[in-house]
Amino acid sequence: MDTAHLVDLLLAVGMVVLALQVVSERAVLRSIILFVVFGLVMALAWTRLQAPDLALAEAAIGAGVTGALMMMAWRRLLIINPDQPADTPRGRSRVAVPVALLAAALVATIGLSALNIDPHANGAGLIALDELTDTSLGNPVTGVLLLFRNLDTLLEMAVLLIALLGARAVSTPAHPNEAAVVETSAPLVGALLAILVPLSILIATHLLLAGTNEPGGAFQAGAVLAAGGVALVLTARLQPGERPGVVTQLAVTAGLLAFVGIGVGIMAFGEKLLVLPGTWAIYVIETAMMVSIGLTLALLFAGAPALVGRPK
Amino acid sequence: MTEILFVLAASVVFGIGVWGLLIAEHLLRKLLALNVMSSSVFIIMLVVAGGGPDGPDPVAQALILTGIVIAVAATAFALALMVSIYRKTGRASITEKGDDDR
Repeated sequence: MDTAHLVDLLLAVGMVVLALQVVSERAVLRSIILFVVFGLVMALAWTRLQAPDLALAEAAIGAGVTGALMMMAWRRLLIINPDQPADTPRGRSRVAVPVALLAAALVATIGLSALNIDPHANGAGLIALDELTDTSLGNPVTGVLLLFRNLDTLLEMAVLLIALLGARAVSTPAHPNEAAVVETSAPLVGALLAILVPLSILIATHLLLAGTNEPGGAFQAGAVLAAGGVALVLTARLQPGERPGVVTQLAVTAGLLAFVGIGVGIMAFGEKLLVLPGTWAIYVIETAMMVSIGLTLALLFAGAPALVGRPK
Repeated sequence: MTEILFVLAASVVFGIGVWGLLIAEHLLRKLLALNVMSSSVFIIMLVVAGGGPDGPDPVAQALILTGIVIAVAATAFALALMVSIYRKTGRASITEKGDDDR
């Protein structure tokens, strides 16, 4: 067995063991932390499968943002009721084990039999790769996302916006205990933020610009931008606001507006719907998407319709 | 070899997710289990799609990327629902037993 297979084996075992720990661990917080670790092992698995775009997305979104959202939700429950039992009881279900075994067997059967299907010569992936040689895009994933299946990407932005609106719609008045995050006066916080926040903007911009030719893109960039926002929310430099201003509304919808604006506007020039006119359009749309994704995720984290600077 | 290994591991992870979903009472745990399940499905999607010398099928990668973002959006919405349920009922579960003793 060579080293590569050994790494594969370690990753596979790691995924299984961590997944088991995530669902069987009794303390909720530890479970969430294990889930973040699970996400990072997944990111390594994506790297081994030669999908660095997915590795970046998994690390930033799957592990990072999801973990942060879950920890924030758990913290909210703790604030509402500090006597929250840290351990949650397991439900008793006699069918759980057999159903789980059947589900695993079913998925394994489907997966293993699908592996035996010969890749179609006219598969969508190969067609996309062929067509991409005519464009200036070096990253095939960005090409598929923005040129060939851009309706998916457009609707994905819509889903993100709807999730934000939905989260606002179901939010009930905050519990009196849920006061804003207390601003910490620790002397190093300011210095830390002075490094972290500009760094998140720098990395996000790099991921965005590099994303046309190398691994990266608007989603990964947006998640990194959101991480900067999360740091500001956690340290109360940005605080939940009551009403979103025009800037917030524009920023949250920018991705959708730019996509629809260019995609529909192009029809006036005799093109078909959503046929993007060139690389500049991709950059414009991706930048708008990055801003929207970053702010939407930060707002979902803060659980507020808007973020405002701290009162002077 | 690598493909078979990852498909098998992902199937086991999927089963673990189903098990976790069924035995969890706390809604946060149910969401964790669902996220574990979705990760395993993404792995299988990519491995099964195959690919060429330049890496896996780009269409599969784009679909999975979309899936990861949708998963986090759905999770965020579900967490907001959970917090709302907790504010109203003081519980973060929706078991039948709980309905009786409310």
